[in-house]
Amino acid sequence: MSEAKVVAEIKSDWPANTTRPDCAVISLEGVCREYAGRGDVVRALEDATFSIVAGEWVAITGPSGSGKSTLVNMLGCLDRPTRGELKIDNVDVASMSSTELDRFRAEKIGFIFQQFHLIPYLSAVENVMLAQYFHSMTDEKEAKAALDRVGLGHRTGHLPSELSGGEQQRVCIARALINNPPILLADEPTGNLDAANQAIVADLLKDLHRNGHTVVMVTHDPEMATLAQRRIALSHGKVFCHPVGGPIVTLRR
Amino acid sequence: MFLRLLWESFVRQRRRKLLAGIAILFGTTAVTAMLALATTIGDRIHKELAVYGANIVVYPKAEQLAVKVGGVDIKPATGNAYLKESDLSKLKTIFWANNINGISPELPLQLKHVFPDGTTPISAVGLWFHHPLGSGAATITTGASELHPSWKLNGSWPTSKEEAVIGSSLSNRLNLRTGDNLPVIAANTQNLHITGTVSTGDENDEKLLLPLATAQFLNNTPDAVSRVEVSARTKPEDSFARTDPDTLSPKQREIWYCRPYANSISYQIREVIPGAAAEQIRKVEQTEGTVLARISGLMWLISIAALLAASFAVSAAMATAILERRGEIGLMRSLGASKASIALLFYAESGLLALFAGVLGYLFGSGLAAWLGAHIFAGSGVPAIAVSTLPATSIFIPVLLPVVVATALIVAIAGSTPSIRSALKMDPSSVLRANA
Ligand SMILES: Nc1ncnc2c1ncn2[C@@H]1O[C@H](COP(=O)(O)OP(=O)(O)O)[C@@H](O)[C@H]1O
Ligand SMILES: [Mg+2]
Repeated sequence: MSEAKVVAEIKSDWPANTTRPDCAVISLEGVCREYAGRGDVVRALEDATFSIVAGEWVAITGPSGSGKSTLVNMLGCLDRPTRGELKIDNVDVASMSSTELDRFRAEKIGFIFQQFHLIPYLSAVENVMLAQYFHSMTDEKEAKAALDRVGLGHRTGHLPSELSGGEQQRVCIARALINNPPILLADEPTGNLDAANQAIVADLLKDLHRNGHTVVMVTHDPEMATLAQRRIALSHGKVFCHPVGGPIVTLRR
Repeated sequence: MFLRLLWESFVRQRRRKLLAGIAILFGTTAVTAMLALATTIGDRIHKELAVYGANIVVYPKAEQLAVKVGGVDIKPATGNAYLKESDLSKLKTIFWANNINGISPELPLQLKHVFPDGTTPISAVGLWFHHPLGSGAATITTGASELHPSWKLNGSWPTSKEEAVIGSSLSNRLNLRTGDNLPVIAANTQNLHITGTVSTGDENDEKLLLPLATAQFLNNTPDAVSRVEVSARTKPEDSFARTDPDTLSPKQREIWYCRPYANSISYQIREVIPGAAAEQIRKVEQTEGTVLARISGLMWLISIAALLAASFAVSAAMATAILERRGEIGLMRSLGASKASIALLFYAESGLLALFAGVLGYLFGSGLAAWLGAHIFAGSGVPAIAVSTLPATSIFIPVLLPVVVATALIVAIAGSTPSIRSALKMDPSSVLRANA
């Protein structure tokens, strides 16, 4: 069975995707991402065709090097497809200038990273305010409220190095949600965390999902993957879309 | 937030910034010193020359013309053609009288120093010291003492006919000191009392400097003056200044006459002093010009080299500094920061560095200029007055500060542009991934 056929089957399985394309926050059509390596070309992602609907929680799974991060980065407009069409909110990413993409990223996307990527010399609240700064204007009260929401209201003045991994990830989540972006992209958010912190992060993601954010989450952890409504499995850059238990699409907006 | 980011990142990576900062500091120090020397000392020399230095010399007309009759020179160049001292007050009656800052009449003569058991020849020159010129409110006090402020006097200028000062070399040669008595003889005899030694830096170091009246008495040439140095405030010479007034139309001639060119003032001097020739002195300005040109040429070279080196150092320091922070750049991009806003942040950072280094460079450079002025250029042909009278504070030229800081900014911006550009070209997704 060819990959393309799998994709087609799943698409036909899933009426919301085809009958309500306006709901698709994210849609990919034959998206490829190639890296020019030494001599040969590395195909990080091949012919990805699927859609993610508004309010959906999707888990992206696959072995290391299968192109998960590549996919997430393209969804977050940090990277552009080599080929194919990527639409976010019905806008073709290829048609946007890099400044438009910057704007787009500031307004629509919240990133959560495995390595947190906090600025080491800024305090927790300043790290959150950084996202406000590049979005529009800083508002310390709002930033503190966001930290409060992730249970760090008492640690706002601490530097990342003074926080545990779990706490750092929560700062990262507060930063991702501060501008209230519709889409949250989490690349292995619990990859560096112990079970207890993983549970906290999972609860936060559930909460965000309940509040209508579209969550695209890369994970290795089967337990985390079960939280999502749907799983997109990657293998060697190829995409397999799976409905994962429960209702295929729940739209909450 | 911007300022917070700027400040926090500014105080980080201190070693690299220190390196870049020091490079900028060296560059701006050199530039400041160069500009300070070129402007202050140049300015000062011009000012001093304008105020004190002689720029016109007046001498008897017969002196310049070798009068020959039938192939026989009847008026040797060393001859005894004199101007009258009593005519000199007329200098304050010419059209541009108020532009005459001072005059110094001279009467050179040969004397013999009388010992109990013989004599030694001595060159001497009669001069004015603090002598009044003009009348009424327009009276000025002038003379060699005023026209040559660079002469270093140890003691006091003569105040009476029996007093004299002695040139430093002559003083050493004859072992004559302040307070000594010195009987001299020429056409007449006079017992002189030495009131000081003077170091002039020219041939006068070998001479005895007497009051003009004493020289006239010794020489038995009352009222005689061989040469007069005139210091006048003049308009810089242009091509119109060099035209011969006698070839001009009456109207043009009028204009020429009424401009304070050295040539017009000389012309007016010739009109009032019978038998006088007056000429502009250019020699001093020319030496000054070549010395300054040499100095500033060298300084320009050093400055440009220093600035180039600084911008390479900044470029190297920024390249590693930014490379170390590419994770941050990737993160900022993921937060939606535009390339422009990130570039602004880094430019502001190196700008801030340039500001600090530039201000410091300005201070150091000003100090360096003062030091160079005092130690190196003294005695290099630049009139000592221009250098030695510089108070330490006057070397701080406020106008230079913005110029120097702007130079530092340009160097910093030019130096950091390549690394900022390459940092922004980096693919943010691979940067974020690489930090795993
Ligand atoms: N900048 C790059 N240049 C070349 N190859 C890359 C680059 N980024 C990723 N790759 C390759 O693309 C493939 C997918 O990488 P990635 O998306 O990071 O995988 P995952 O996140 O699933 O571990 C890997 O084989 C990786 O080596
Ligand atoms: Mg990955």
